[in-house]
Amino acid sequence: MNPSDKILVIGSGIAGMEASLMLSKAGKKVYLVERLPLIGGNVIKTGESFPNMDCSTCLVAPIQQLILQDKNITVLTVSKVEKVIGKAGNFGVSLTKKARYVNIAACLGCGMCYPVCPVSQPNFWEQGLVEKKAIYVECAGSLPNVPVIDPSLCLRLNGSEECNLCAETCIFGAIDFSEKDELLEENFAAIIVATGFSTLDARIIKNLGYGKFAGVYTAYEIERLLASNGPTEGVIKMRDGERIPEKIAIIHCAGRKEVGYCSNVCCSYPSRYAHFLTEKVPGVKIFDIYGDLCFPDKAYQKLNYETRKEKAEYLFSADLEKLEISEESDKLKIKYPDAGNQHKELLVDMAILAVAITPPAGLEDLTELLEIERDKYGFVKAETGSVNTTRDGIYVAGCATGPRDIQSSVLQSEAAVGQILRFLQD
Amino acid sequence: MSDKIGIYVCECGPNISGRVDIDRIIAEISNLEEFSDKELIVKPHKLLCSVGGKAFLEEEIKNNELTHLVCAACSPRDHDTTFINVCKKTQLNPYMYTIVNIREQCAWIIPDKEKATDKAIQYIRGGIDRVLYQEPLFEKQLESNPDVLIIGGGMAGLTAALVLAGKSRNVYLIEKTSILGGKAALFSEFLPHQSDIADLKNKIKEVENNQYIRIFRNTELEKIVGFLGNFEIVLKQNQTGDTTDLLAGAVILANGYELMDARELDNFKYTDADNVFTGLEIEEMLTSQGKITLRSGEKPRSAALIHCVGRKEAGYCSQVCCNYLLKTAGYLLKQVPGIEIIDLHQDLCQPHTEDQAYFESFKEKGMQFCRVQEVALDGNKIEYVNMAGEKKEIAPDMVIIAPAMKATASNEALSALTSIDLHETGFFQEAHIKINPVSTKTDGIFIAGASRGPCDISEAMIQAQAAGGKILTQLIPGEKIIPEVKVSEILEAYCTGCKTCLDVCAYGAIYFDNERGISVVNEAICRGCGNCVGSCPSGALRSRHFTNLQLYQQVKEALR
Amino acid sequence: MDKFSKKGIELNSESGIQEAIRRFFQDAEKIFDAVMLPMRVPAKDSYAWIMIKDREYLKDATPIAPIMPVNGAKALKRFTRKGEARLKVAALMRPCEIRAAVELTKLNQINLDDVILCSYDCPGALPMQDYISEPEAGEAKFQYLLDNDIWNSAEVKPVCRICDKFSLPASDLHFAIEQGKVIIIANSEKGAEILKDMNLPGAYLLENWDRSIQQIKQKRLAAKEQNFAETKNKIEGFEKLLETFSVCIGCHNCQSACPICYCRQCYFDSVTAKPNADVVMMKMEQRGGLTLPMDRIMFHTGRMAHMSLSCVSCGLCSDACPVDIPVAEIFSYVGSQTQQAFEYCAGESLGDALPMKEYKSDELSELKAILSDATAQEVADE
Repeated sequence: MNPSDKILVIGSGIAGMEASLMLSKAGKKVYLVERLPLIGGNVIKTGESFPNMDCSTCLVAPIQQLILQDKNITVLTVSKVEKVIGKAGNFGVSLTKKARYVNIAACLGCGMCYPVCPVSQPNFWEQGLVEKKAIYVECAGSLPNVPVIDPSLCLRLNGSEECNLCAETCIFGAIDFSEKDELLEENFAAIIVATGFSTLDARIIKNLGYGKFAGVYTAYEIERLLASNGPTEGVIKMRDGERIPEKIAIIHCAGRKEVGYCSNVCCSYPSRYAHFLTEKVPGVKIFDIYGDLCFPDKAYQKLNYETRKEKAEYLFSADLEKLEISEESDKLKIKYPDAGNQHKELLVDMAILAVAITPPAGLEDLTELLEIERDKYGFVKAETGSVNTTRDGIYVAGCATGPRDIQSSVLQSEAAVGQILRFLQD
Repeated sequence: MSDKIGIYVCECGPNISGRVDIDRIIAEISNLEEFSDKELIVKPHKLLCSVGGKAFLEEEIKNNELTHLVCAACSPRDHDTTFINVCKKTQLNPYMYTIVNIREQCAWIIPDKEKATDKAIQYIRGGIDRVLYQEPLFEKQLESNPDVLIIGGGMAGLTAALVLAGKSRNVYLIEKTSILGGKAALFSEFLPHQSDIADLKNKIKEVENNQYIRIFRNTELEKIVGFLGNFEIVLKQNQTGDTTDLLAGAVILANGYELMDARELDNFKYTDADNVFTGLEIEEMLTSQGKITLRSGEKPRSAALIHCVGRKEAGYCSQVCCNYLLKTAGYLLKQVPGIEIIDLHQDLCQPHTEDQAYFESFKEKGMQFCRVQEVALDGNKIEYVNMAGEKKEIAPDMVIIAPAMKATASNEALSALTSIDLHETGFFQEAHIKINPVSTKTDGIFIAGASRGPCDISEAMIQAQAAGGKILTQLIPGEKIIPEVKVSEILEAYCTGCKTCLDVCAYGAIYFDNERGISVVNEAICRGCGNCVGSCPSGALRSRHFTNLQLYQQVKEALR
Repeated sequence: MDKFSKKGIELNSESGIQEAIRRFFQDAEKIFDAVMLPMRVPAKDSYAWIMIKDREYLKDATPIAPIMPVNGAKALKRFTRKGEARLKVAALMRPCEIRAAVELTKLNQINLDDVILCSYDCPGALPMQDYISEPEAGEAKFQYLLDNDIWNSAEVKPVCRICDKFSLPASDLHFAIEQGKVIIIANSEKGAEILKDMNLPGAYLLENWDRSIQQIKQKRLAAKEQNFAETKNKIEGFEKLLETFSVCIGCHNCQSACPICYCRQCYFDSVTAKPNADVVMMKMEQRGGLTLPMDRIMFHTGRMAHMSLSCVSCGLCSDACPVDIPVAEIFSYVGSQTQQAFEYCAGESLGDALPMKEYKSDELSELKAILSDATAQEVADE
């Protein structure tokens, strides 16, 4: 096929999905490459989205379905870009399609195979809050709704035992231990990098006690606790599985100093947390300790104002960098300088860190093999007011180029499609 | 031709067959008394959605010359499209098929196999009676015009024009004033992470020289009717009053913003004689006279920057002011070495990775930053309350304020012409705030730049490219537009003309025929959501493929 | 009292209330092209709406008629449905008729551009049956109410006895009645303009009138509360509802008389609502027996669902019912409940959008509370 009709999209988050669907609509063939076994990216981790409180799954699941049903889009999950040669208009790309060991065409997603698997591992997609088996889907409602086997942990695949339990349970014969990693060579006219983001390892932020005190959570752990398809099915409980928090502090700008920039979205989602926490935990008291508030959209500030009226007490700190969390019996003690730089203390059961957004894992390797530059923070460098990277024919969209919300990510992916179609027309 | 109804029951492996009695379904459905005058073909299949299952279905439809098809299987969310696509390969009109969900709604939720089977049979009976009352529907194909009308010659409009214009697509760029470039054309510099000012000038030149872009200066939109691919447009030259008729397939509204007049606020009192300037006025001054001076022509020795002017009243953060006030501080620091500058802000909004470092560079230059709870201005006298609650007064030589960006009056006018909704802030309302930010409720009309909300130059450019991208995917030269088939229709005899449907239609697909005193559905715009059907008090609206009769028959049989 | 006028103008009421109003319209000949008001029919047993240009006819008109055979809003609709009236018409109607006109205006069935709505303090209307059986007795009874300033009579229709919106509706001009005196009040900008043009002498302070209106209102509200409690007790629950409507003969007179039932063809008269034999047989087999015709309760609850948000409690449905079902009281009760749910009051003002046409994010919050309580209950049950 003529490479001018084929586009490679790396990353299947909201930006990658939007770009793929648009390109398909324009009659292009798309390869959508995703390193995880499921598509959807970080958006599907959130229960609801700011500021309309739309259910995220309801927003994204139809998009995921469209992607999976689209004849123009080849979805490669558990896959990776290995090599890129050539130039805009005709890139030669090598891709590894890792073995899933489960036949996507045969599997119905009935979920009979994982309970029988004898091996467990932490589920990092669920922020390590629960465990999963060696054959697993990351969460209920994963799409494609097909499990994957981790070959390093599977007793049969890592050679430790002749275990065959999952294959025996599957009446569709979908388990295929003989599947091998595949190397694909394809040509593409253009490439979109939409690899999303990671968050700062909160243990790095010394004075906040994450990892030391059980009561300290990252925002993304809370996302999963709030989500109805999360590990607690939306029930808010402390790590011991019993205690229900009575007082919660949300600490803004956690790690901002460490990364050196504002992460753009962390002022918005605490309003959403306040909304759902007060709904789910009757009588809970919520404090937001903040330095600056940043609401970059016409509709965002309003919800925050409403939250502050009813659902959360906002405490301004003149210097958030001096905020310290310590443990006092089963409570957390938060010490911080207040507006007048006076020392203040607050006792809470739970502290939620609105942690900084960082470049996604593996972006460094990817940018190197794509031969595109990164900015000083490690994000993909884009030209000003544009989605062009430093290499012709390669575009970037979403958080790969810096922290941004869903709206801004979608805007960039739509802009990238605009640029590609413009480029292919000339 | 007599009715020949094919009913295929999917076992979904053990998912359905394990929990409902497939044999009993086949036996009972085959012998239904109420359909004894019809020919029923009832068969099970292991997995209808599999490759083999689809081939089987296709053969069955063709060989038996089916007139109606019922698939008793899973949720329509999973495989409705799958079976519709099978129909499309055969003589059977896809609207003569229906899916019955006996998996999620029967097998998976009812532990008792007999009860689950009973319910499945009832549902299938409902499906059969529904499909008998379905009517074949046919897709229409409409010619489409690939040209695009862009309203506004600012950065967003220019960028969009350059993304779109080409051999097979003309762009009509209309600008209310006589100059291109919008407010950005007043700037002497852009922010470091924004596009270069020279870039804007090049863009204007490029647009002016592009043979596929036709520029209409001093021109405004007079009238627009139509839908994606077919808009009839009238433009009006605002000096001569001459009108121009155009056809276009899509429209981008990129008509920019204006600044709130701070003097409308209770706590901001100043006159044109005072040395109080908006950030934009400073840019204008710098561009026109090359330097920043007081009204007397003297150099200012001290200045105060006031952020968030009118933010509370406007109800949103304008997001660009923190950065551009720093930019003006930069001008001052360069021109008047030793000038004392104090920056009075409520919050600092620095949404881009580069912003914080930019801000810190000014801290290093000795600028004083002060967070305030309240601030009031009288001439050049400023009274503010800092976060510790202390009241302070200062009177710098020059005061530079950042009033909120707000929607222009043309948003309202364009909203009236296009029926695109305005957000409560007066900016245009996007189709979905998160996942569809440059589209609107009307297919074919897009929004970009500061008329859809406060944004900086680079964001306006991204939005313009996004709107361009949307149009390039939706309006492909030579391709026909296929509107929704399952639309609503109005039965004239029943319509009382109360216009309730006009209010509930989210797509502007219903118009009122004054002559006949009734509402009329524009089928090219209707998406078949059914809002109007539910709201019509006199039952004059009917949703094709979801008619009362169809639903009634389905419910009736299901309850028999 | 509203912003237009704290004062009224006293009309010459020496020859009685009716004559005072007649004389006002006589004097306003240059202001209005025509006047619409009730007139007793030649057979003397009922009233009809007339629209007159020639003021000669005014002497035969009865501004405040003892009965209300047709809701005035319906009359108004006849000549303004398809746009504004060519001539400027003053329409004198009861407050409930004004409110029906407001509802129909919002539903685009009436165009008020060239209409001046005139209202009066309404003592209520007599039940049609009572009046028709003895018209002269009715006339006397009603005259007695007017002459003796009786505002809480037991003679008027049941819905009138519990009507608390009997004064100052959303009209342009209002005839206030205080102990036999008629005072005209401008109740809108349009009304104020007219009074200015007419340049009538004398201002009248309304404090006493207002106080007495409030007193009457309190009494009626108390009666309403009691009536609603009784009605609730009578109809709450399916069994009781069925029993109440079991005498219905399916004539649909209530629907024909209702000013709010504005559909060209009622769904319940349409083909779709007429079940075929198969369905009837099926239902009979299932239930073991069936009363015929079978859509009675469906008709009433369906009509309730369709129009209760706009019900103005004019009571014409009860007047129209040949089998004496207290339709008006039931609909008035249900309407007050549904309207309350949307914080809406039918006919109160042109500015309030119909609940169907407007979405508020906080509406029906109590339903949400009920739902979440129910979910909590379910969880607890498990």
